[in-house]
Amino acid sequence: MRRALLAITGLAASTTALVVLKGSPGAGQVTQALPGDQPPAVPGGLDPAATGGPSAAAPAPSAPSAGVKPSARPSASGSRSTAAKPTAPKTTAAPKTTTAAPKPATRTLYGPTVSYRYGSLRVQITVSGTKIVNATATGMPSSGESGRKSDDVQAAYSGTSGQVVQKQSANLNTVSDATYTSDAYRQSLQSAISQI
Amino acid sequence: MGTAISLDLADDLPPARLAELADRTFDWLREVDARFSTYRDDSEVCRLDRGELRLADASADLRLVLERCADLWAATDGWFDAYATGRLDPSGYVKGWSAQVASDRLVAAGAPNHCLNAGGDVVVRGLAPTGEPWRIGVRHPDDWSAVCLVLAGTDLAVATSGVHHRGHHVIDPRRGEPAHGLRLVTVVGPDLGYADAYATAALAMGESGIGWLDRLDGHLHAVITDDNRLLHSTRLPLVD
Repeated sequence: MRRALLAITGLAASTTALVVLKGSPGAGQVTQALPGDQPPAVPGGLDPAATGGPSAAAPAPSAPSAGVKPSARPSASGSRSTAAKPTAPKTTAAPKTTTAAPKPATRTLYGPTVSYRYGSLRVQITVSGTKIVNATATGMPSSGESGRKSDDVQAAYSGTSGQVVQKQSANLNTVSDATYTSDAYRQSLQSAISQI
Repeated sequence: MGTAISLDLADDLPPARLAELADRTFDWLREVDARFSTYRDDSEVCRLDRGELRLADASADLRLVLERCADLWAATDGWFDAYATGRLDPSGYVKGWSAQVASDRLVAAGAPNHCLNAGGDVVVRGLAPTGEPWRIGVRHPDDWSAVCLVLAGTDLAVATSGVHHRGHHVIDPRRGEPAHGLRLVTVVGPDLGYADAYATAALAMGESGIGWLDRLDGHLHAVITDDNRLLHSTRLPLVD
């Protein structure tokens, strides 16, 4: 199906528009031909290089291309934001044997994590050839302190009235959230685009 | 402060037509930003707030927005307050309203299947490119890489107000302090302007906002409390 995906940042100083036309039948076939047993997309899914954890499922939550593998050069795409994380080299070691292979038809690239007043985000883009077919603002896991607090709270409230908040993952078209700002979005997006 | 907006057009139209529709949508949203932003000294809103512009001389859009803000102030018993910060700031309604207008215009222009996400507040119309209802995740308050709910629908406005782990930022207009009690409020309804305003109001109300949302006609909701309980309308269109 022919689609257009657009992302924009409206700023006082400047405006950046990203217009994506997903019209190539080839691109659609590539994404649809992927096996159905791919792990479900996590909205704001992270590349394994960023977390190294079991929650790092396939990225690209908002498109049928959910099963797309992370970039063929994860160490490059993740290095900006994860340079300080000791786990990054461990998870990126394996794909290096494939660096000589041709680039996959569809790749996912990540911008750096950009902090802003109420949190942080990073933009991931899905690229087919040199064409951007998807762009999504994703995020990083919360700090260790917040994670612990969440676990404590979940333990304390299991089985009481109300449901304890669970983390779900599913194929999604979009994500509803409290506002994030275009400055952070644009910074991360520009960096992701520069990797194409 | 700008807002990131994304548009997904799912109709099988020629690329040039899709690009035209997208341009028109973003032209409108840029225009709204120029006229209604509280961050631009020359915006209509700021000029009105400073007394440089008389209400009678304001645009029809601005007068409509002010009227709706007044209605919302009454409907929320004062919890939605365009003057909560001490000066006129209708942003809590304008963002959702302008996105809803953009979506309505797309439908009228022959693009009835689309998804417009304005800084986390979403309007979905018709069907997704898969031919199925749109699937909308609600971001998990503790983990940006996860969602806590997944909704599916064909014609829905979904607005989320909340606090991230850096702290509360919705002001309780009655005390002038950050609101407490709820971490996240998602409201689902037919119009994004109202859904967004109701979500903001309920967040400001704290736990009493849950009962208030329950009595709200024509809208469904989900909330997460400060102690991390998730409560939602039984008829909320959840997936899984």
